[in-house]
Amino acid sequence: MAAETGPADGGRGAPRTLAEELRTRPDDALATLLRARPDLLSPVPNDLTQLATRAGTRASVVRAVERLDRFALQTAEALAVAPDPCPYETLRDLMTGTGDQPGPDDQPGSGGEPAGAASLPDGLRARIAEELPRAVATLRRQALVWGGDDKLRLVRTARELLTPSPGAPSPTGLGPTVQEATAGTSPGRLQELLATAGLPPTHDPVTAVAALAGLFGDRARMAALLAGAPEGALAVLAKLVWGPPYGEVSVAAPSPPVAWLLERGLLLPSGPRNVVLPREVALHLRGGRAHRAPEPLPPPLPPAAEHRPQAVDSTAAGQAFTALDTVEELMGQWETAAPQVLRAGGLSVRDLKRTAAALDVTEQTAAFWIELAYAAGLLASDGETDERYAPTPAYDDWLRLAPEERWAGLVSAWLAATRTAGLIGARDAKGRTLAALGPELDRSPAPEVRRRLLTLLAAVPSGASADADGLLARLRWERPPHRGAAPAVPAPSSPSGAGSVPGSASSASPGDDLRSRLARWTLTEAELLGVTGRGALSSHGRALLGLPPEGPAPAAAAAQPTTPAETATATANAARLLAPLLPEPLDHVLLQADLTAVAPGPLERPLAETLGVLAEVESKGGATVYRFTPASVRRALDAGRAADDLHTFLTAHSRTPVPQPLAYLIDDVARKHGHLRIGAASAYVRCDDEALLVEILADRRSAGLRLRRLAPTVLASQAPPDALLDGLRAMGYAPAAESAEGDVLITRAEAQRTPPRTAPTPVPDGPPRPDDTLLGAAVRAIRAGDLAATAPHKPVPAAAGTASGRLPRTTSADTLATMQAAALTGSAVWIGYVNADGAASQRVIAPVRVEGGFVTAYDHTADEVRTYPLHRITGVAELADEAG
Amino acid sequence: MNGPLIVQSDKTLLLEVDHEQADACRRAIAPFAELERAPEHIHTYRVTPLGLWNARAAGHDAEQVVDALVEFSRYPVPHALLVDVAETMARYGRLRLLKHPTHGLVLETSDRPVLEEILRSKRVQPLVGARIDPDTVVVHPSERGQIKQTLLKLGWPAEDLAGYVDGEAHPIELREDGWGLRPYQKQAVEGFWHGGSGVVVLPCGAGKTLVGAGAMATAKSTTLILVTNTVSARQWKHELVRRTSLTEEEIGEYSGTRKEIRPVTIATYQVLTTKRKGIYPHLELFDSRDWGLIVYDEVHLLPAPVFKFTADLQARRRLGLTATLVREDGRESDVFSLIGPKRFDAPWKEIEAQGYIAPADCVEVRVNLTETERLAYATAETEEKYRYCATTGSKRRVTEALVARHRGQQTLVIGQYIDQLDELGEHLDAPVIKGETTNAQREKLFDAFRQGELSVLVVSKVANFSIDLPEATVAIQVSGTFGSRQEEAQRLGRVLRPKADGHPAVFYSVVARDTIDQDFAAHRQRFLAEQGYAYRIVDAGELLADEDV
Repeated sequence: MAAETGPADGGRGAPRTLAEELRTRPDDALATLLRARPDLLSPVPNDLTQLATRAGTRASVVRAVERLDRFALQTAEALAVAPDPCPYETLRDLMTGTGDQPGPDDQPGSGGEPAGAASLPDGLRARIAEELPRAVATLRRQALVWGGDDKLRLVRTARELLTPSPGAPSPTGLGPTVQEATAGTSPGRLQELLATAGLPPTHDPVTAVAALAGLFGDRARMAALLAGAPEGALAVLAKLVWGPPYGEVSVAAPSPPVAWLLERGLLLPSGPRNVVLPREVALHLRGGRAHRAPEPLPPPLPPAAEHRPQAVDSTAAGQAFTALDTVEELMGQWETAAPQVLRAGGLSVRDLKRTAAALDVTEQTAAFWIELAYAAGLLASDGETDERYAPTPAYDDWLRLAPEERWAGLVSAWLAATRTAGLIGARDAKGRTLAALGPELDRSPAPEVRRRLLTLLAAVPSGASADADGLLARLRWERPPHRGAAPAVPAPSSPSGAGSVPGSASSASPGDDLRSRLARWTLTEAELLGVTGRGALSSHGRALLGLPPEGPAPAAAAAQPTTPAETATATANAARLLAPLLPEPLDHVLLQADLTAVAPGPLERPLAETLGVLAEVESKGGATVYRFTPASVRRALDAGRAADDLHTFLTAHSRTPVPQPLAYLIDDVARKHGHLRIGAASAYVRCDDEALLVEILADRRSAGLRLRRLAPTVLASQAPPDALLDGLRAMGYAPAAESAEGDVLITRAEAQRTPPRTAPTPVPDGPPRPDDTLLGAAVRAIRAGDLAATAPHKPVPAAAGTASGRLPRTTSADTLATMQAAALTGSAVWIGYVNADGAASQRVIAPVRVEGGFVTAYDHTADEVRTYPLHRITGVAELADEAG
Repeated sequence: MNGPLIVQSDKTLLLEVDHEQADACRRAIAPFAELERAPEHIHTYRVTPLGLWNARAAGHDAEQVVDALVEFSRYPVPHALLVDVAETMARYGRLRLLKHPTHGLVLETSDRPVLEEILRSKRVQPLVGARIDPDTVVVHPSERGQIKQTLLKLGWPAEDLAGYVDGEAHPIELREDGWGLRPYQKQAVEGFWHGGSGVVVLPCGAGKTLVGAGAMATAKSTTLILVTNTVSARQWKHELVRRTSLTEEEIGEYSGTRKEIRPVTIATYQVLTTKRKGIYPHLELFDSRDWGLIVYDEVHLLPAPVFKFTADLQARRRLGLTATLVREDGRESDVFSLIGPKRFDAPWKEIEAQGYIAPADCVEVRVNLTETERLAYATAETEEKYRYCATTGSKRRVTEALVARHRGQQTLVIGQYIDQLDELGEHLDAPVIKGETTNAQREKLFDAFRQGELSVLVVSKVANFSIDLPEATVAIQVSGTFGSRQEEAQRLGRVLRPKADGHPAVFYSVVARDTIDQDFAAHRQRFLAEQGYAYRIVDAGELLADEDV
């Protein structure tokens, strides 16, 4: 490793620590850092030293590294295997490879040249060189790298995180350095290595290792060494060169090529049965490259299919309308048959299946609609002892909105939700099935992925859909799946056995990580909701993201609505764009002689409700097909409608004459309806028609009702009235229940509601995005704190501590005088202060008023006006320089 | 965005008939969508996998289907449906049955995983032989039909390109003296011949026999014709002698009474499916000659054993003829895989509009039962109820009155129950044709009816199929086989043949009010109501009182 003392005696003014460097950065650079890593802001650090420390904590660094795009990550990985500090040129060479590496032609014994070592195409190298400054700037902006271009330093935590170790192999596929790999080797063995490699002997192990490393790093000598390799040796190296660098061989009895390599230290033993390829050797074989496949540019997004933008919009609008219908139908189902809440929370599989069947969708899709309604606050559990899910009062409000507003409500809930319906039906770590509406469905990255994916879709020309795989590849480039998703232990490959594994592809099969799955779900769900149409982003979908209607997509991460107000505006814009695309509700249907009615579009609500009672819905979609059956007509009559009403209703709403069979059907049912009357008092059947009663009595199916003939026109039953009603209906009659007064009882199902419920709040990952005001304030506060901590102050008279960092000490008289003077001049002073808990701190304050034993002052450290009791101030000192 | 078509999420298509683009739209969707209902304003088509594969078999591709849907749709077509259409259609033809020069019949794939998938199916394994190469597997020639059936069930219908044997040549010509094939009949013959094998759907009375004759004249080879019963066999023979160059001697009848095997042989389903001691003794008929063409009349009635035989006949050209592909047993997919895809279909109303079948007035006459009858009905055993209400005296009286009203017109009275028919025959003084009537007697009576010597004929369900009564203008149905939809359609077909004077036909269905008879009638009428035959409902009382109903 490079000497740690290097940078300290470097150029004057070069920062020695990250904190020092941060101090030299302008305010907006600090704001950028805090925006990129908002976790640093909570709580607001006291000063830059604290900020730098916090920026170096493991949790924060892991979070920042996980959010790097692939090229920045590759750059960081390269830095982690480079000397520290690392000049920019060295880093560039690691990324592009050294241009003058020996090609296969001038390499003697080129037959054994590892295939992967062929240098990158010139175009790619040029692009890497072009993009590298951006990647370094990204790392620097995020305070992962600091120091000048001559001395790039990766913060230590990041280095530890990314440096290869046997337990956590690096994506670079590089092994440990010679120094690390030979730790614990006996000096005698080192001597042998030196001798075989043709180096002058030395007794100092450190010098020996340095000599060996020097040999491996020297292009010409190394080439000469390898030229003498026996047959097969280069093939062994080729297997390990791109990693994993560990191979399984018998160290005790190696094959001749392996023995040759071991003797020269080109392979070093890492265990009784394992060898490792030292980093320096691997780099030589790779032509100096840290990555086999550097990816300087995001993968392109080729449009998959082009559609007319209008077609996309109208398809999406059609789907949006269907979405509203589906949610309404779902709620309609649940308001009469509210499903129970499982004890562990959530919806039972049986209820999900039933709902899916009722909605005529797959269970996965049904789960999505249910979760959507839940996220939008339209349904919730009612909290009763016998807990059930039911629509909330908010649902009734939602119903009263215009269709586009209803859509906006659903979509904005969907965009922000962290609950993911896609997980439903999968199993958690304990093997339990994840239930719809159940716990553990929150996935923090979901909102970010949704937004990002849609923004990417906005980048392809309008009307075009993007290839799903391309989108996923792009997402993976922007945020590579972290290594936690990689297979835990890469099996060491035998140098004589399995082929090499490309270092950069060591993660699990692409598309299995959470973000990719989220992205795939997003594509499906956006289509279901009508945000996209035929796979392309619709114009209302574009507005939903707060993007301008046309033009290229904004750069990554920019132009995201961050505040609720911006989101609301965007949603309202989207709704406005959608409104004209939704079909107008109709006020008529077409009646046909086969006893069907066709509504060639959405119906006005009252009409749809009445028809829903009077006829069965046979098919749904753009239009609705209703079928009149005796049962449905009877249902309408049961609901208190008279036959005349029904005729009038149909005539009024039909474009065509009411067909005769339909009129007959209604009259026939009406004629029989209420013909039979059943009382609750003692459960009787009465009917003016003797024959009918005889028929009922004679029917074997009536035995269970235990009917007895009271009079020629009256039957009495031992069964309760409702069982009697059901029994007679099952036998095909149309009885009507009647009250004690002889009135016909009107039966209609009650719609169930929960008490008022709020929608579940999303659980976002990490702190919210800070806005500019907060960032400004935070930067000012840190600056001020830093000023307080580091500003050199005038030597304080008397017993005051002179060394910086100690609390100033003055007498109380001096303190009062200095304060009053400062209040008059309006200048800032430096004070020592002990708070009520006895904790001492230093602050920079600008006194405003001194009276009654209190100082009222503007506290630069806390960025607010505060009042301090004079007796708690240990001392005061003037600032050496003017405090900005 | 104001097309005539509405695409529903359950894959039904609603076509607004009064729309100006309705005809263009109908033509565009007919190849792949099955007409399900055709009432007056909105016709319902259904897109089924079978329909889509039918379209693929006829040479349409998914792009055309999607275009047709998108072009005519009033509302945006759900993307999922379009994707589903494309995926379903892409399943057809991934597997192909071919004739291999050395290995005989082989199953070849253009998509290896599909072959792997189906070869893992237990039902496919016994049907295939050795794997020739990764994409090809040998199929036992005897299992050609079986494997097609199985693959269809697995959702990967195979395209049968293995070709047909020519069969023994036999000269057959149409004798078009003073008549010609109607345009749609020609289209049907061409569609069938081009496709190799398949089903032609034409309404009753639209001349299916001539389509068969046309196909025979195209094939010019020995032909086996399978029909439902002997009467129908005789009519085929009669028609073939009249319309083609075939002579009586060239046409054989293979039925319960006669067992002739000639270049053109007409056999009944019944004789083929007769089982003796566990075997079908008449099966050898299929192998008795080198048939070049097999015609299945009334393919919707094809009995299950015939399906089994047909599976072994896949190398021969097969023509199915029917008025409706609706099978009460739901075996439409077997028709698709064993006989072949639908090659031609024309809605009834369209052919009626062209004047090839007579317009018909369908009337349901509701009869009020007398008080005594109602009591008797109420107390009847459940299984006797239909019989009782269908055969009441009130109905008989109304029927007599109807016959009287149409005196002078050729009238058929059709019923289910023999004693009811006998009674009616007595009252109307008309001959009754039933199961026990000999074939000779039947033909004599039919002839007399045809000549106009008889104006009223009472028939049982034996006359349901394939009898040709050109001048029947009035049919009165007094009872039926419970709720059979296709029986109703067939019976209506009796009066649909075009009348010389263009007189509209009348079809009465006499129904007892407030009984199970009425429920069955409603069910029976569904197919016709969906085909656009709107039933009028008339009270028997009004009908009898007012002469002008």
